[in-house]
Amino acid sequence: MKTNTFAYKCRQFMMFAGVATFIFAAVVIVPFVYGFYLTFTSWDGVSSQKPFVGITNYISTFSDAAYWQALGRTVLYSFIAVVLVNVVAFILAFLVTSGVKGQNFFRAGFFIPNLIGGIVLGYVWKFVFNRAFVALGNALSVGALSTSWLATTNGAMLCLIIVSVWQYAGYMMLIYVAGFMSVSADVLEAARIDGCTNIQSIVRISVPLMASSFVQCLFLTITRCFMVYDVNLSLTNGEPFNSSVMAAMHVYNQAFTYKNYGTGQAEALILFVVCAVVGVLQVSIGKKAEVSA
Amino acid sequence: MRKKALALTLAAVMGLSLTACGGEEGGGSKGDGVSITIFNSKVEVQSQFEEMAEEYTKATGVNVEVYYSGDTVAAHMATRYSSNDPYTISMVDAKDIYSLAGEHAVDLSGEKWVENTDYAISVDGKVVGFPVCIEARGIIYNAEAIEGITGREFKPEEYKTLDAFKGLLEELAAGGMETPTGIMKEDWSLGAHYLCEVYEEQEDVEGYISSLHAGSADLANNAKWNAKMDTFDVLKQYNYAASSPIAAEREVTEQNLAEGKIAFMFGGNWDWSVINAYDYSEKMGMMPVPQNTSDGTNEKLVGGGSKYMFIDSSENTSEEQRQAAKDFLNWIVFEADGNAFLTKECALVPAFSNMDAAALDPLSASVKKYADEGKLIDNYNYFPDDHLSRCGASFQKYLADQIDRAGFAAEIESYWSATTPVEH
Repeated sequence: MKTNTFAYKCRQFMMFAGVATFIFAAVVIVPFVYGFYLTFTSWDGVSSQKPFVGITNYISTFSDAAYWQALGRTVLYSFIAVVLVNVVAFILAFLVTSGVKGQNFFRAGFFIPNLIGGIVLGYVWKFVFNRAFVALGNALSVGALSTSWLATTNGAMLCLIIVSVWQYAGYMMLIYVAGFMSVSADVLEAARIDGCTNIQSIVRISVPLMASSFVQCLFLTITRCFMVYDVNLSLTNGEPFNSSVMAAMHVYNQAFTYKNYGTGQAEALILFVVCAVVGVLQVSIGKKAEVSA
Repeated sequence: MRKKALALTLAAVMGLSLTACGGEEGGGSKGDGVSITIFNSKVEVQSQFEEMAEEYTKATGVNVEVYYSGDTVAAHMATRYSSNDPYTISMVDAKDIYSLAGEHAVDLSGEKWVENTDYAISVDGKVVGFPVCIEARGIIYNAEAIEGITGREFKPEEYKTLDAFKGLLEELAAGGMETPTGIMKEDWSLGAHYLCEVYEEQEDVEGYISSLHAGSADLANNAKWNAKMDTFDVLKQYNYAASSPIAAEREVTEQNLAEGKIAFMFGGNWDWSVINAYDYSEKMGMMPVPQNTSDGTNEKLVGGGSKYMFIDSSENTSEEQRQAAKDFLNWIVFEADGNAFLTKECALVPAFSNMDAAALDPLSASVKKYADEGKLIDNYNYFPDDHLSRCGASFQKYLADQIDRAGFAAEIESYWSATTPVEH
């Protein structure tokens, strides 16, 4: 049997990756290309005609101030949330690998928020911010808690960040835990014999050896934060005064609520490009920092 | 061995769930005769619709299936039409009829019920929208709570001017109900309901909207705008949540109203579906928004037909299905069972003159009374799709004292002048 012919390679490929390729093409590639085509039409979402309008949608995207505000807001939110999620996750991972009693229980506990869907999470936290905190604030007469944070512009943003950190920190913690476990005990022991303090051995030994965990966690949090929609919808729904509308929500509103399907699609494409650029940049920079032990 | 057993069990469970899904999919085409689908966009009557579908199938042999979606109506319609799987009958909002009917709706001009209603929607001279019910907005009051303090019978018609209304609020406040009003902060309530009345109560609505688009309407000095905003300021002043109005939750506000902790709230008869979840007073009702005006608008509610049904005209729906759909609409209007379904089971205010409605809730009964007396100011159905969200946000800023009335008027004006008019 000849194994270096094209036909053979094709067969091999189809056998191992055929189904996956087909599904990927059907649910990602084809809709993506079709969506790209729709950005050149003025389709309203229901009509059977899709009039071709050239780059009009891109022009209206660039003149849509609300979109750029939403995108700027998303960048700010993502930056703060990504930093906080990773700091919290790293500290948690350190704590649950340091040999405290019942650390498996803690690991499971911190991971659980990630198992709750974003919509449910949003409603639960909305109740906490609107009722529980306010009741607490009134009972203890703490001024900062006596009105709902969700009612103010900065407060709503803060709430979104808090909930995101709560939601993602546990998941990222697991990846960092795996990182900590992969650092071999010999190296750490050698460091200790050489006189490293605990902090030094984390910063100088563990962190460089688990750079791949950082790359993964940053990539996951950045893309998730940029695409945030479910928590945004159920926690704030863009309120107050549309000041907590994130990019994905604006895109949805533009396409389906305001019925500018083409413009919404063009805005989604720009959001995708921004995400892709940030993600790829971050991964390629992170890869360079990885060292092999 | 144990692992193997576990794997087998898991596989069996997954297999079962797969067949379960498959079973539901296939269930649609059963039953003898024709099969029609109905999209219901009034979630509060979904269970009534499902029960009705069963009864209707038993009585007529026409298999009826009712669907609901959590998406916005327009988005859901978009999904169904782009997947070539439209409903036989779709219940949508008036603005959706205008955007969908041209391409997708069957001409119903020849139907018998057309003569019995003033609320059907026509597009290009053809009747396409079947009005499901009448809904109207105004101030919802809790008479029991008011009478408990004033000690005399509450007659809403005595408080049609703002001065009289304010006098009553002062009396209530002095009598122990310190904050007698509630305001729903939701953008649809502020932006799509209260604000819209400013346009809808103009003498020439179309003309006024055009002048807004053209930038020539001086909103800040418009008499109607100022009358409505004066009233809003009073509602705001006595708002139970005045310290943090944007944090007020709809359920809490309506609960307060139902239980008589507050006496007034701007809303509509659809609010009954929230109020009836609480320990409500039977002596509630709706009254026009009080205003210091002499144009008569303070004697009327604003409203009209709400939710319209249209029948799909695409090739995905067969002639038999279309006929069955038409029969269904006639059943609602002309058969005793259909009447009872709409007015008793769903407790909706009928839009047809031949249908009586004895079993309505207190708010709908008020609406019916005003409708019968011809005291409804028409809804305007051609607002741009982003009006609610953008102007609602401005209104929320005004409610939260982030902008003053002049700044609010300026934001509304700049919204309109930057928006292209809706063709109709």
